[in-house]
Amino acid sequence: MGVEMIARIKNITSAGLLALLGSTTLAAADVTVEFWHSFGGSSGDALNRIIENFEAENADIKIDAQEIGNYNDIVTKLQAAIPARRAPDAVIMEVTRYGLFADRDVLKDLTAYVDADPLKDDLFNFAREVGVYEGKNYIVPFNSSTPVLYFNKAIFQQAGLDENTPLKTYDDLLAAAQKITQTLGEDGISGIAAPGQFARWGLVMDNDSDLIDSVSGDILLDAPNTIEAYEFMASLVHEHKVASPDGVTQENNGRDAFLAGKVGMMINSTGNYGRSTSALGDDLAVVPMPCNKVCAVPIGGAGIGILSTSEQEVQDAAYKFISFAASPESNAIWFSETGYMPINKNTAEQPLAIEALAEKPGIDVAINQLDVARGRPRPPVVTWMRASEYDLWQAMALGQREVPDVLNEFAERTRAEADRLKK
Amino acid sequence: MLRRMTPYLFVLPLLGFIAVFTYIPIAQSMNLSLREWDFLSPTKPYVGFDNYRLLLDSREFWNALRVTAIFAIISVPLRLLLALFIANQLLRETLVSRLMRGALFFPSVTSTVAIGVVFSWVFSTDYGMMNALLSSFGLPKVAWLQEPHVALWVLIFVNTWKQLGYDIIIYIAGLQAIAPELYDAAAVDGGRKAHVFRRITVPLVMPTTYFLLMISVIEAFQVFTIVDVMTKGGPAGATDLLVNMLYRVGFNLFDIGVGSALAVLLFAFLITLAVVKSRVIGRKVHYEA
Repeated sequence: MGVEMIARIKNITSAGLLALLGSTTLAAADVTVEFWHSFGGSSGDALNRIIENFEAENADIKIDAQEIGNYNDIVTKLQAAIPARRAPDAVIMEVTRYGLFADRDVLKDLTAYVDADPLKDDLFNFAREVGVYEGKNYIVPFNSSTPVLYFNKAIFQQAGLDENTPLKTYDDLLAAAQKITQTLGEDGISGIAAPGQFARWGLVMDNDSDLIDSVSGDILLDAPNTIEAYEFMASLVHEHKVASPDGVTQENNGRDAFLAGKVGMMINSTGNYGRSTSALGDDLAVVPMPCNKVCAVPIGGAGIGILSTSEQEVQDAAYKFISFAASPESNAIWFSETGYMPINKNTAEQPLAIEALAEKPGIDVAINQLDVARGRPRPPVVTWMRASEYDLWQAMALGQREVPDVLNEFAERTRAEADRLKK
Repeated sequence: MLRRMTPYLFVLPLLGFIAVFTYIPIAQSMNLSLREWDFLSPTKPYVGFDNYRLLLDSREFWNALRVTAIFAIISVPLRLLLALFIANQLLRETLVSRLMRGALFFPSVTSTVAIGVVFSWVFSTDYGMMNALLSSFGLPKVAWLQEPHVALWVLIFVNTWKQLGYDIIIYIAGLQAIAPELYDAAAVDGGRKAHVFRRITVPLVMPTTYFLLMISVIEAFQVFTIVDVMTKGGPAGATDLLVNMLYRVGFNLFDIGVGSALAVLLFAFLITLAVVKSRVIGRKVHYEA
């Protein structure tokens, strides 16, 4: 009995030792890519599916995906992590806010990777362009978007508005929002969500202007059409009271209220399509952005960059993942689950994409807007400008300061900051 | 020699710990406050006192200082008065008073982020509980977090609600240390309740009040989480407390030099305030009856 027991212990010990050695050898062969992103909920699930598919094909690479928060949170955490040498290997970066990181050589120049990758020819031009800063590739597109106009058909019906009510101009938007607020305001339903920053940029473009000229880089915050656009947006809140001020101080409140059926219309990224259909079902309608003076929409979303500080082996593995995430198969998963636009020319041939286009009304609105979509400049000052704009928008939307005063002063400060950052 | 060194050797590990986590960061902040840096650049050029000049010339700094001062001037006395009053009511060891102490202390150990999120919804203009309550009485809605003059009061209320339990527990400990004979003597002399409270309780609980005053003033100047979660300094700077500004300048606007200058000024201000308090109020504190 005692000998048997000793033999059994020996066997168990040997097996354990072998397993340990095996796992150590395997672990030594693995490359782990720490990847920071900003996708939770159904978008996070879709991203996890893509990662699982990648890891199934690349057993030697592990993607350690971490949801950090929104794009602002990622920028903040990344800049704190870099001097602390705790930066990830790959990171999602919003398309207008990576310029500073590229400029400071924090992001690796991916031009050599992209040039050698067949993916290069498969990407749509608009998608490829978002990754280019100063002629070099710093991010590879992953989630591209434009803002679209969502509305709740049930609320329109209750307010006596037809589903085909024109929503082309600022006046159209205001008229529909006023009708909803007047009819249903007592039930706690407001006409339109206060526009978030991406929507604000879109509405400025619709008014034939921009915040920064995408070609010359000139600051256009004090251009007459920009001022006019901000005056319209601010008036929705403090003058006409068709948008709740809750969405001014907490931008997500407007979106959450729309998803809860408490707001008639919302201008937001097409990336909200997935959660909007989940929340509103058949009551959701999606139409193109208004064309107040011209038809123009900003291209938003984000791409994935690689940190210069990572080891070569990890950078190679990270690029392999980035390229996989932009492949037609992965992009079809992403498009069909979230509503972000296809970035790969071959995505449309994928069964998932075909099914989504056939069965999900409105998912193609952003794609159809691409003819009027414009890339946005991404010099280092944009990160500063976007971070500063929130407070000023609050002052304008809540009627505390006059729009022209705010924007004239803001333009001056932005120009000064741009000069400082250039040094 | 070894005998002389022994006490220092005992405190060395703790000193090392404090140096790494307190003194070195303070020294680094002072150094960074004299440089221009965005966290990303490999170089940190020396700019002298430019960051301080920039800060002292900016409207935002004076606004943040004013807002923080208002926050402290209102919230500190409010906290201490309420805490002393409630502690005095809960002094007796009954089941109800024990339950009440527990209930009042509960917010102190609750996550500040969770508190901020919940109160953001409570004070939401169109979807919040407070305005639903006002509407049920036929009163108009209040833009709690969007109206500049109201938003700061909301933050003061939430911060007081969170911190009150801690102050009460400390006050109860202080009140329990007062010798009951003094109250007995006052009762024999026919002292009225208010008179006894003013003449016996308040002077004898002064060391506790002094301690809480020091702590709560420092805390008032360091409030950040509630502001970050509920208002982010808005609307339009109305709740932009100093630490929120420090975070915004340093981490959102990439200006570590100016952010560090603000941190150094705040540090110097709090040290000065503590010294002044100890000179002015500390002399009036008696630790024995």
